[in-house]
Amino acid sequence: MKGFKQHALLPTLQHDEQARQDFVGAFRGHLSGRVMPGNYQLLERRVAPRFAAEHGRPPADEQEIREWMTREPYYQFWSALQRRSQELLWESVIDPTEREWSTLITRARAAKPTKTRKRGSLRLDPALAVPRYHAAADIHLQPGGYHTDFTGDDVAAGAIYDKGINLYMGGALGAENDLMGNTLLAYLRERHPAHRPKRILDVGCAIGNSTVVWARAFPKAEVHGIDVGAPVLRYAHARAQALGVAVHFSQQNAEHTDFADESFDLVISHIVLHETSKTALVRILAECRRLLKPGGLMLHLEIPRGRTPIEKFMHNWESYNNNETFSRYMTRIDLPAQARKAGFAADEVSLEEFVPKMDVAQMNYTEHFFWKILVGRKNGAL
Amino acid sequence: MSDPIHPPPEFPKGYRPQVFSDPAIDQLYDGYLTLGTELAVAFDRIDTLERLLQERLGMTRAEIDGYQPSEAVDAERQARRAELAQRLLRPFREFRDERITRGGRKG
Repeated sequence: MKGFKQHALLPTLQHDEQARQDFVGAFRGHLSGRVMPGNYQLLERRVAPRFAAEHGRPPADEQEIREWMTREPYYQFWSALQRRSQELLWESVIDPTEREWSTLITRARAAKPTKTRKRGSLRLDPALAVPRYHAAADIHLQPGGYHTDFTGDDVAAGAIYDKGINLYMGGALGAENDLMGNTLLAYLRERHPAHRPKRILDVGCAIGNSTVVWARAFPKAEVHGIDVGAPVLRYAHARAQALGVAVHFSQQNAEHTDFADESFDLVISHIVLHETSKTALVRILAECRRLLKPGGLMLHLEIPRGRTPIEKFMHNWESYNNNETFSRYMTRIDLPAQARKAGFAADEVSLEEFVPKMDVAQMNYTEHFFWKILVGRKNGAL
Repeated sequence: MSDPIHPPPEFPKGYRPQVFSDPAIDQLYDGYLTLGTELAVAFDRIDTLERLLQERLGMTRAEIDGYQPSEAVDAERQARRAELAQRLLRPFREFRDERITRGGRKG
């Protein structure tokens, strides 16, 4: 993928490895750009008229659309290829990682802070139980998920994730996979320009690709990133060190961290909530509130997954076919209500739509992409 | 000194959807896309070989593995990848044209 920035923690690509990744990227571009829109035509011209003929009304919701669409050969063709292309994507990234595995671990070990490098840190907790919603299925079909150590001091899951998500989003995430971080940062600057955080917590940070954006934007702030996966955190630490950015990574469950009450003035996450569970969601939001200083802001970036039933159905392909198990429930959940359940007052939370001026081509199942942001402010109206 | 490396699982953990009524069709599609991918890889490889052969008479595998396409070469390759994707997607276009766009045959 041209435009993706190679760095010391990524495996180098041999000729055929590069070709394989390039084709997977090109094929997925065709699937999302040219084949996927046919599903909208299919519903409009074939499925909806037949449904109406049988029921005397249009399909009422996503579930009715699902029942009819999944029987259609065109949808089946697209779905089968979309699934296989996702698997091929990981396979194309795993091959070069396997070839350079030991080298990557050696480089990650060497990336510890030095006198000349800014001092980030890494704190792992081998006793931490990876929650079921994370371990029950490999999210996005990445074999082994984000949490499996295949060897001592392993960083492979991080290297695989770094290149994999860039291919997954057709390059839209940017040269350093920083689109989501930049999006949320743009929101903060536009809607809350006076908020200058001194301590920032990024929840579910994985390889720290968004965390680094915040550390660069607020160089005087103390920036923390937490995740449940050890290999992605080792990678995140080494990657941030290699980029010369100070971030403090620790292996913690966002439902209950070991940070003191009121220790952050900004708590953020980047498309993480839909990977959790109904009970975990409320616990995470309650923990965010506990960690916020009075007046502190909580910002969770989320993919809204469609306005109309057909858009919801298309977005939820990910849930049924790409191990995004919880995301289908997220489409029906009232997020501000969950935040109130977690202790926020009614005027302390809101759910906002945000469309930054950025290229988000190919990372959607709909024509008009927008983000949703769950915003909370502790002890202060929004 | 180093710990042994256990390779990642070949298949991701979790629910494996069955798209078609006959699972054999799912498997056929999986193989079909794998084949398409490897064909794209082979095309790229041949392209590299031809260019290297053209440039010089002596040729080593290390040279091929080290080859970095220029932006112009990459643009040509991008076009070819797009063309192959189009050809592989022929059945869908046909189906879409006949049965959806023009609302023709029933089935």
